[in-house]
Amino acid sequence: MKFLRVKHLNIWSVFSFLFVLGIILSNLLVFTSLLQPPSENWQHIKDYLLADYISNTLLLITFTGLFTFLIGTSLAWLISFYDFPLRNFYKWAFILPLAIPAYIGAYTYTGLLNYTGIIQSFLRNSFNFHVNPKLFDIMNIWGAVFIFTLFLLPYVYTIVSSFFQNQSASLFESARILGRKPLNILFTVLLPLARPAIIAGVSLVVLEVLNDYGLVQYFGIPTFSTAIFKSWFGMGDIDSAIRLAASLLIIVFFILALEKLLRGKRRVESSTAKIRSIPLHKLSGYKSMLAFTYSFFIFSLSFLIPLLQLFYWSLITYSNVLSNKFWQLLWNSIFVALVATCIIVFASVIIANFQRISGTKLSKTYSKITTFGYSIPGAVIAIGVMVLFINLDQKLFWFYKIVNPESAKLVLSMSIAMLIFAYVIRFLAIGFNSVQTGFEKVGKKFFEASRTLGMTTTKTFLRIDLPMLKPALVGGFVLVFVDVLKELPLTLILRPFNFDTLATKVYQYANDEMIPEAAVPSLIIIAVSLISIYFLNKITMKEER
Amino acid sequence: MYVQIRNLTFNYKNSEEAILKDFNLSITKGEIISILGQSGSGKSTLLRLIAGLEKPNKGSIIIDKKIMADQNTFLFPEERGVGMVFQDYALFPHFNVEKNIKYGLHAFSNKEQSKRLKEVLELVNLTEFAKRYPHELSGGQQQRVALARALAPKPSVLLLDEPFSNLDAGLKTKIRGELGKIIRQSGITSIFVTHDLEDSETIADKVVSLDISSSISMKTGTR
Repeated sequence: MKFLRVKHLNIWSVFSFLFVLGIILSNLLVFTSLLQPPSENWQHIKDYLLADYISNTLLLITFTGLFTFLIGTSLAWLISFYDFPLRNFYKWAFILPLAIPAYIGAYTYTGLLNYTGIIQSFLRNSFNFHVNPKLFDIMNIWGAVFIFTLFLLPYVYTIVSSFFQNQSASLFESARILGRKPLNILFTVLLPLARPAIIAGVSLVVLEVLNDYGLVQYFGIPTFSTAIFKSWFGMGDIDSAIRLAASLLIIVFFILALEKLLRGKRRVESSTAKIRSIPLHKLSGYKSMLAFTYSFFIFSLSFLIPLLQLFYWSLITYSNVLSNKFWQLLWNSIFVALVATCIIVFASVIIANFQRISGTKLSKTYSKITTFGYSIPGAVIAIGVMVLFINLDQKLFWFYKIVNPESAKLVLSMSIAMLIFAYVIRFLAIGFNSVQTGFEKVGKKFFEASRTLGMTTTKTFLRIDLPMLKPALVGGFVLVFVDVLKELPLTLILRPFNFDTLATKVYQYANDEMIPEAAVPSLIIIAVSLISIYFLNKITMKEER
Repeated sequence: MYVQIRNLTFNYKNSEEAILKDFNLSITKGEIISILGQSGSGKSTLLRLIAGLEKPNKGSIIIDKKIMADQNTFLFPEERGVGMVFQDYALFPHFNVEKNIKYGLHAFSNKEQSKRLKEVLELVNLTEFAKRYPHELSGGQQQRVALARALAPKPSVLLLDEPFSNLDAGLKTKIRGELGKIIRQSGITSIFVTHDLEDSETIADKVVSLDISSSISMKTGTR
């Protein structure tokens, strides 16, 4: 086997191989079905619906990408170069919307703006003012762009602002000495330099939009993810679902290629060794007011208003929602998230350590495949994992019969193992990145010193590497845990019958026209996410020091 | 006097103590001055004040009869017409040599821009490197590009911040000689700061020694 050379055969390489094989199989299986003749439904989908899916998807990613670029970059620019009232507060406040998943944002804004919502009721009851309900209808494609932009904004903001803050002040200063005004420098020097950072941020936004199911489903916008769900659950047509997943995967490949192309090959790194950060310029008068108002406006829309609304709803509904069933739900969420996170951290450590020790091309390929999982939309992974597990069940049926003669045909694919496996594939990249960064920081010299002192790889790992890696492991653990906790599309497709998590319950309440009831589980998801953001910030702040 | 600095006082926001206190300096046209001092003596701060990158608490800076800064006036860096070579060169990494140099020539016509580009590239002996990017150049070449970029807009004064600190000891003597020659050839009034007495004495007409309490002693250099 090409993947396994005997030379590197040890416990690390075998485990790495198994994890990578899982990722490859569940994605390749999506493509194999393309070789089989399509079902009747597929002809119908292709002729009448596919064009809609494509155009809606493209509209959503184009405009969300554009608006997150404009707003995210402008906020990063204000925060990185100017001082204005509450600037230090906004600096981290703009990261907070990341804690609110787009589907929760969508439910909240819909509830806020609809006929019985607080705005229309207030206008009606206090001023007897009846607004045209169409003006407040956000359940369309532009509303979706609005919601996506608000809650995905932090991806662009954080990447671009940390890029700006890592630039040497002398670049900016020499441009001024050469006779350029600050705004001119923004367009001639800072933005062109920041291009790779901007593109990285916008690509993350686009991939998140492609991954989304909760928002587009609720707003009734036909896209690939809603179509995959419809063929799967609505028509029971697995073949069409797979074909749709494959088409979506092709779009993802296209976006990843485009990202690489746009980032450019040229390594733009400063020739400087010493970095003095750019001093803040104090704004005064109307400029300072303008910066403050703009920041307040964005912060209110993307965090403050939805959060206040959710708190208000929680106060009215908590007594109905907090039943025994709810604690079961909370336990389910924590349980699956914990199990998946432990497996992910374990796998990340193994693959990263294998890569570090062997340093071969093969191990680098492994790490590339590992990080690839995060780019694939949840619905696609769900389909791939489902097909894989059904195949496994067919292959293992003889074994089930030995264990239990009355065994059902589908065992694994009816179990929670399938869901956890899918989480591992989708979020392995996040754990892996943290662990790999941790390994890079520790370096190889302690490992080598320990080996020369007579310890084996595994002993060295347990006694030297693991204790030194602890901060990276904790960081990775928290990040993965939160992502699993708020995950929706994978969970909806792959959960066993009658198995609900916080995220699926929020989804269910919203679709049963019980948006206020969704507030309590939503707030729990947001609170846990906030803790992870705090952790992440602490880690990055340590790095900056 | 071409450059006149009177009673210049400055302290950074986060420190109580003034890093420069009642500093005075006069320079005649075409003179090359070296400011010698330990780190923390305020020598780089002096350059930043002249360039307009910091605002003095007190005192005045006059260059060629034009007030750069006093109690009532403060010109922004882009309004001063001075040139500066940064310690880390600060070449724009996304521009090639030609674009880096032309960046400061926005007030010139296209024809003049090309002419001036050719002149300064010849001066620093880098004509064939116009299309290279900064990361494709050696440290010494990067420094000469930075020098050419600063000289291109014909500044009234050239400021150099620790021009030799980023170079290998072996190369330093050679590059120091070359740089001194180029500056002398261009005839521009120059101020450079260094912590190395040898640097000062090789290049400068006059050495100004600046110790931490910012009292100054002047001595005429070997030239």
